[in-house]
Amino acid sequence: MAKLTINGKFIEVKDGTLILEAAKQAGIEIPTFCYQADLSRIGACRICLVEIAGQRKLMTSCTTPVMEGMEVNSESAAVQESRKGVIEFFLSNHSLDCPVCDKAGECELQDMVYKHGPRKGSFKEKKIRFHEKDYPLSPVIIKNSNRCVKCTRCIRVCRDTVGVGVLGSMGRGAHQEETSFLRTYLDCDHCGNCIEVCPVGCFMRRPYRYKSRPWDLKSADTICPYCATGCTSKIQERDGEVVRSISKMGKGVNNELLCARGRFGFDFISNEDRLTTPLMRKDGELVPVSWDEALESLAVNLGAFAPERIGGIASARLTNEDLFLFQDLMRSAFKTNNIDSSARWNRDSVSAFIKATGINEGGVSLRGALEGVDAIFIVGTQISEENPVTDYLLRRSFDSRWVFTMIASARAMKLDSCAQLTMRHDPATENALLTAIAKVIFDDAGEKAAGLDCAELFKDLSLKDLSDESGVDQSDIGAAARKLFGSESATFFAGTEFLRFPDGLRGFSLLKELLTALGKKITVVPVLDRCNQRGAWDMGVHPAFGPGYEPVENPGLGNAGMLEAADARQLDALYIAGVDILNNYPDFETAEKALSKLQYLVVNELFLTGTAAMADLVLPVASFAEKAGTMTNQEGRVQSMSPLMKPPGEARTAHDIFSALLKAHDFEFNVAKPKGTFEKIQANVKSYADVELLNERSDKSLTGESGNTVSSSILEKEADEEDQTPAYTAEDLPLTLITGNHLFYSGMLSSRSATLGSLLKEAIVEINDTDAKKYDLKSGDHVTVTGRYHEGRYAVRVKNGSRKGVAFIPENFKTGPVNRFFRKGEWSQKVRLKKVDA
Amino acid sequence: MLTEEAKKAIKEVMKRYKTKRAAVMPALTIAQDDVREVTAEDMLEIAEMLEIQPVIVNEVAKFYTMYNVQRKVGKYHIEVCHNISCNLLQAERIIAHIENRLNIKVGGTTTDGKFTLSTAECLGSCGTAPMMQINDTYYEDLTETKVNDILATLKSRD
Ligand code: SF4
Ligand code: SF4
Ligand code: SF4
Ligand code: FES
Ligand code: FES
Repeated sequence: MAKLTINGKFIEVKDGTLILEAAKQAGIEIPTFCYQADLSRIGACRICLVEIAGQRKLMTSCTTPVMEGMEVNSESAAVQESRKGVIEFFLSNHSLDCPVCDKAGECELQDMVYKHGPRKGSFKEKKIRFHEKDYPLSPVIIKNSNRCVKCTRCIRVCRDTVGVGVLGSMGRGAHQEETSFLRTYLDCDHCGNCIEVCPVGCFMRRPYRYKSRPWDLKSADTICPYCATGCTSKIQERDGEVVRSISKMGKGVNNELLCARGRFGFDFISNEDRLTTPLMRKDGELVPVSWDEALESLAVNLGAFAPERIGGIASARLTNEDLFLFQDLMRSAFKTNNIDSSARWNRDSVSAFIKATGINEGGVSLRGALEGVDAIFIVGTQISEENPVTDYLLRRSFDSRWVFTMIASARAMKLDSCAQLTMRHDPATENALLTAIAKVIFDDAGEKAAGLDCAELFKDLSLKDLSDESGVDQSDIGAAARKLFGSESATFFAGTEFLRFPDGLRGFSLLKELLTALGKKITVVPVLDRCNQRGAWDMGVHPAFGPGYEPVENPGLGNAGMLEAADARQLDALYIAGVDILNNYPDFETAEKALSKLQYLVVNELFLTGTAAMADLVLPVASFAEKAGTMTNQEGRVQSMSPLMKPPGEARTAHDIFSALLKAHDFEFNVAKPKGTFEKIQANVKSYADVELLNERSDKSLTGESGNTVSSSILEKEADEEDQTPAYTAEDLPLTLITGNHLFYSGMLSSRSATLGSLLKEAIVEINDTDAKKYDLKSGDHVTVTGRYHEGRYAVRVKNGSRKGVAFIPENFKTGPVNRFFRKGEWSQKVRLKKVDA
Repeated sequence: MLTEEAKKAIKEVMKRYKTKRAAVMPALTIAQDDVREVTAEDMLEIAEMLEIQPVIVNEVAKFYTMYNVQRKVGKYHIEVCHNISCNLLQAERIIAHIENRLNIKVGGTTTDGKFTLSTAECLGSCGTAPMMQINDTYYEDLTETKVNDILATLKSRD
């Protein structure tokens, strides 16, 4: 600790604290421009100069650490004088066009001039102008360099945190301009973090341009509706249209960071295709009906079937409150355990994933999981595309503390450049790879491991076979093993590939158990791609367990089981809340067949999706911007969101709908606001009992232990039938097709966002550079992708460094939906590419 | 577009450094030699060779006034220092004088493509201000007469 005085005020702070930060702790504000906590420090703008007794010159408080006995003055005459000078200097070339600047009203320069600035400038020279008109840098970014204060925050956030580095400082001195390569269009993450950090109106949002003044906006704190990183943001509306989503330093897991989806993907809210009235099928047509008629028909119709002939699938985008009521409705009103929270993940894979990652045992914090850890192993997740801000946060953490990082995946990813070891394996071979690593550790551990339960298991394993199967060199396997063996603690990031290819969980659990048995501290951070997937499981939206992972007596069917039962006419009615099964389930044909055989299909939706169009009853619901509730991110952080506006037309919140149905079934049921439901959740889910939603906004992770375990040995498929149609041989179909989220596409919502749509205009198939050469393809070429069951047209993207022989088509393209290539819930297929003319 | 020769030279020069990116300045010099211009394609190709983002090549090229980014200069590139020392000793007059003699403005090139006039910041020769640099040569303690002589000599060369 160091003792010092600032403006005569005595304070004591940790050694190494910057004067600026010490001042902040003492409640003294020092103006800054180039400084931003969490960005590298450059001390370039000189606005934060302070006087230090005994120092001849003023010092930058944003780069100078405190020293014992320091006497700092941040408001002396000399400081004020120099501050005025610096501001005058900023203004010497600044265009001062506040009346037409989007930033006016929330501009740091404006505020600063108002507070400290000279009222008059003494420069007579003509101002330097970089350009006449603002110029677009991407479909979402527009730039005005005439307003720049040259703080380089934009460049640093892009380079050091986002890891893209497509911005630079061109020229020098007063002529310096921060922009892209020759001001050309950016090929980047389009995350807009450069916009967020820019203190003035240089980087601006194109979709928000000239739409409003900040003081005319109404705001609500919310949670991003895309991935489970759980970024918090403020969404803002004007005249009934959501125009902006912003993030702030010091708020949420993400601070000022968001990805393209979180920053620009909200416009589906005002999409004019939103459903506004209940629709009921009459004489084969969906026609508008009143809510009374709709809800009554729902209760009567669903109630008419035997419990085992009913099922429910709810989206992992719903709030905890919605999901809790949904499972309560299905279980207590319709008496069935046939419920699931996704149409993508197999019931038993989910149980195994939960067990292997310890989700049921309580939360982990990302920050905590990185603190002091010796090694990081990222496996089974496309973190850079599926959970972009998790990628940014990891990269940022490496800035302050370097940790040995390993990445195993089939596809290359942006985070690779932060890793010391990358292993490119064949799709769906996580089991072989992780088992191989475990085997090397086991052999190296010798005596120490000999007595372990798993010892038997390793005896007959051949490292060579495992290495061949996964396609990863023995030397890399050895390096990963030795690093883990030599570490005292390691953090694993394990994601959705394990849900697609649950076999990998075997190797994962083996490795984890072995390391734990050898005395290593292992932390697992689950990486999930839907905002409330964890919450959905916590709430018990699963056929085998209820709220708090309490096993149920007669486990029901999962999504695959329900579809299969429907196909066999053993299930008659389905209630689907917000899942577009036809687009999500990895077997389009089966899904379509199954749904068409149902006697009664109810769908809660924002849009008339393919699934909704098949329904007998469609209920229009509120989007995330129109409701209150909580969501639990991948770490187990329970966060609340508040409504910004009313849902369109007659749309209602899912919570209202489920409450009404519960009430119709049980008159005792107390219809409550989401807050009341949250109290119920707290009473039922042990780990939520002491979560406090402070100011409707909580950072608290789940820490309690739920104590329940999920049934193990669950790697058998629900339906295991041999496929009888091997129409092609391996030579015909040389590539393995896999899928996952794209940076700009994840889930149904993204496909309804015009802005996200503008970032990637056509459906793509991604291959690596070797294969591109082999098939004479380059980015931008068009191909037909032919699989056993489907053929589609895609634009080629070449990604250097991915595994050869792998083709990747993202989920959720409206044209070219990838699930048509798959069958029987299997997430990979053999395909071939053939070039076609544009 | 980099010529095959230029590419070879860049590959050669890359060997001198521990990291590829360290070769960015010599690479730009090689690209600019002979043609007296660094084009967009040159920067993209250099970026690819050095495995860095094109914007980094762009930054370096724009930082140093010796690189003529997307600007074809005349055979003789005159860069007159107009920083403090030189300016105190009448650099502005020298600049105006050259403008008159060559009938071009700062930034311009004579119609025969022989001369381009630019201004430069301190070239580290304050002791002999005012001064200018033409291609790789310094001309110091300038006076208007001296400038006339220099221009005449260069004009007579082809
Ligand atoms: S949008 Fe993101 S990736 Fe693109 S330039 Fe800005 S900070 Fe960089
Ligand atoms: S564009 Fe904005 S963030 Fe970038 S240097 Fe200029 S003022 Fe700073
Ligand atoms: S990282 Fe995930 S939660 Fe964060 S803004 Fe992007 S999609 Fe939203
Ligand atoms: S904020 Fe300290 S120098 Fe810019
Ligand atoms: S000011 Fe001209 S050389 Fe230094």
